[in-house]
Amino acid sequence: MSKNTFTMPLGPVHVALEEPVYFRLEVEGETIRNVDLTSGHVHRGMEALAQQRNLVKNVTLTERVCSLCSNSHSFTYSMAVENALGLDIPPRARYLRVLAEEIKRVASHLFNTAIQAHIIGFKSLFMHVMEVRETIQDVKETVYGNRMNLASNCLGGVKCDVDPKLLEYILTQIAKMEPQVEEIRDIYNTNHNVLTRTKGIGLLPKEDAIRLGVVGPVARGSGIMNDVRKESPYAAYGELEFNSILKDGCCVHTRTQVRLDEVFESFKLIRQCCEQMPEGPVTCPMKPIPTTQATARSEAPRGEVFYYIRTNGTEIPERLKWRVPSYMNWESLGVMMRDCAVADVALITNSIDPCVSCTER
Amino acid sequence: MQDTIRGNRAIIEGIEPLCAHGGNVSHTSDSFGNAYHWFLLDMPGQILQAAEILHPQGARLAMITAYNRHSENQPMQALCYQFVLEGVVYSVTAPLDAEHPQVPSITPLFANADWHEREMMELYGIKVINQPNPRRLFLDEELDKGLLGELVPLSILMNGASSQDLWERILQGKESR
Repeated sequence: MSKNTFTMPLGPVHVALEEPVYFRLEVEGETIRNVDLTSGHVHRGMEALAQQRNLVKNVTLTERVCSLCSNSHSFTYSMAVENALGLDIPPRARYLRVLAEEIKRVASHLFNTAIQAHIIGFKSLFMHVMEVRETIQDVKETVYGNRMNLASNCLGGVKCDVDPKLLEYILTQIAKMEPQVEEIRDIYNTNHNVLTRTKGIGLLPKEDAIRLGVVGPVARGSGIMNDVRKESPYAAYGELEFNSILKDGCCVHTRTQVRLDEVFESFKLIRQCCEQMPEGPVTCPMKPIPTTQATARSEAPRGEVFYYIRTNGTEIPERLKWRVPSYMNWESLGVMMRDCAVADVALITNSIDPCVSCTER
Repeated sequence: MQDTIRGNRAIIEGIEPLCAHGGNVSHTSDSFGNAYHWFLLDMPGQILQAAEILHPQGARLAMITAYNRHSENQPMQALCYQFVLEGVVYSVTAPLDAEHPQVPSITPLFANADWHEREMMELYGIKVINQPNPRRLFLDEELDKGLLGELVPLSILMNGASSQDLWERILQGKESR
């Protein structure tokens, strides 16, 4: 530390941080020169819990790893078990899984976008985005009975079928939301206050993004195409038409653009799922549990979720491990915050859409 | 199911000789046709050689998992390193010595291995040689290494953590102010 800098603690409990994390900032006046972060305040020991429950119970447990990405966890965990057991889920279940996943993605991206408005002090925009998001929350509640944990996935398929009347309802709600989200995207792309606070702030150059192995909208905002839905299609993604959003602005604003553009791709996917849903069963029969190992990965709203399972012939997994997207993205804050203003710490942190509790599991 | 399992030839042919001359290598695919390659190394130190093969090809480290035979108080048996390149997953397993579990660090090659290595050092007590940043990740420095591998009965946990010891520390802190 040079004699012109001093250390400034921020967190673990801070009004602008959604969850506890401790930043040790080396600042020179108002400018950040170095960042170190410490987490571990909400370690939950979920991996140990997973090794005391059977394969079926772990669907419920993994759905509770994260609130906004909850569906992605039970989805990817189920895929890991299905890969281990050699299960091939029915076509209708593949579409229903994509439907639930994309509904969750819309809600997650709009939440992150709303929080950005809250951090920059644009309260009316925050309220407006949250109000629009409420429509997709209503969809979740109406179709699945829950506003956060949908409890839709099960081993070998999905628990709840969605009848044609509900598919029609989803289409109506999406049609209502689309122009509203278009208006929100326009505000984020043109409003002077928003752009002044977000454009050119929190830079993550492409070479640093590759070096740190970041994932999700953080990677795609720095010019790295690593959308698992395209790279290794799973469920029905290989049969559906959608684009992966790629931008190279590398700043907070670019990451917001990626998320808002992805909401429209999710609308496209939801529409295709509702219109092209194949008929048939929604689950497949279970098979005996072998002694084996398997992995599965998926594209959660925050990026790649990775699951690894080892089975030993019993219904309790020998080892279950997962890696959430935030785990890969935290270290990029060191690059993003260097030479930024102290006032931008919360804004830059929000731009990686962090989840502390799922990082620490 | 695809007939040919996709994969990078340089990676597969490079790592195969490190796995009982190809005897401990398998290739699988899932019901969507995504490819997975599994390698079991002969010795833990070979993970660095495997990483040196994967890195120039542009692979990305996705996860590292320490595992044992599913029983508390048992040492970790192996480490499974998972890399992704062009949608294909390469899982490279390094066996561990039960008495002295140690591996070389791959953080100098894959910067994002830092958190994974620090986590396995503090949670499972695995020694990572030449780790450039060997600080605690989640747990406080006062806690023993490998704590999560131990079975601590709730009665001991509660006595230590939420009664006398805790309040004595708080009072000491108050008095010293």
